[in-house]
Amino acid sequence: MAEGAGGAAANGGSDEKVLDFLDSVDSYLTTMESLAPILRQGWFDLASARHSMGVFRVSSASLDLKDHSASTYLQMVGHESDDSFVGQPSFSLCKWASADNKSCCSEEEIPDSQLRHRGTSRLSENQEQNSNGDDSLKTVDDLVKKERAKTLSVFGTLVSPKLRTAQLSFETALEVLVEAANIRSSMLSAYSQVQKQMEDTREGEIGPIP
Amino acid sequence: MCFMNTTNQIDNFDFPPENLRLKGFSLYYYSQRYLEVELALELQMAGRAQIATKSSALIAMIADEDTVTGFLLAGVGNVDLRRKTNYLIVDSKTTVKAIEDAFKEFTTREDIAVVLISQYVANMIRFLVDSYNKPVPAILEIPSKDHPYDPAHDSVLSRVKYLFSAESVASGRR
Repeated sequence: MAEGAGGAAANGGSDEKVLDFLDSVDSYLTTMESLAPILRQGWFDLASARHSMGVFRVSSASLDLKDHSASTYLQMVGHESDDSFVGQPSFSLCKWASADNKSCCSEEEIPDSQLRHRGTSRLSENQEQNSNGDDSLKTVDDLVKKERAKTLSVFGTLVSPKLRTAQLSFETALEVLVEAANIRSSMLSAYSQVQKQMEDTREGEIGPIP
Repeated sequence: MCFMNTTNQIDNFDFPPENLRLKGFSLYYYSQRYLEVELALELQMAGRAQIATKSSALIAMIADEDTVTGFLLAGVGNVDLRRKTNYLIVDSKTTVKAIEDAFKEFTTREDIAVVLISQYVANMIRFLVDSYNKPVPAILEIPSKDHPYDPAHDSVLSRVKYLFSAESVASGRR
């Protein structure tokens, strides 16, 4: 009976891994399918902006080739000393971090407690600092607007509203892509676990030769 | 190659010692401008190393002009002092070799966490993309205007799809 219960538990554990893998594959496919309409909207807005502003203003010729750092980048969450970081990295999008203010102006995920000290999380910590929190929100919004305007200024002082909506569309696409990257890493982790389990099962079946 | 006495003089020229570098058996003179650029690059790399310690990294792109322009609008563009960018715009004149070189460069750079590549571009270097199996940087195949996303060609899904075949599942469950 004990062996049967142990066998059932082992089968349950293996089924759970397979289910995790299947869920991650389904999530990955769903996320990638949701990306297409967002990108399509961005391309459409970009084409509209090009139509109103002119082909030469909205083209790769206008891109800034002077040395500058990315305003939007990724933060990989996890500890480098931990093996799980190498096997299953987790990505967090950090949007519109200015050169003067190295902290993120807006973030997609806040998995680490240290990241909560930036931006809006101060409001929940101390109600007496609500006014200071509002000021910090306004500061963050101002910084985001400033960084967005700085990026748009590459295409000229006056830009079409369609270019701004294209910018928002591609920002949304970035968020979806970061989510897809996280699902991808969990899918590969689940896949490696299932594969290992299958190899262990095969080795157990071959077993000792009588 | 130049030959100098112990007081760093050749003929009647005085070479500042900070501009001289000994490599093997050869003594080289570097101009002040070269040294300034080299120092600036070292400082930039030191900053990048600090960023790497904090696990911050860039998003690289290999895609058509509209896709790259759109993501650059979102602020992911990065250009270093050597004018090296984190993106490659693929058009009709871009060679397969250039795409391969860009893919290899982006997947070996330590400051890049995700590489976005249009799926039709990935199909041009399919062997290279499918043989890549590191967790970081993550390779994401994205659709383009004229080529919708096809899960059947996605390298990650191709790697795991054999688990869905009846033969492999049946043999594992027996």
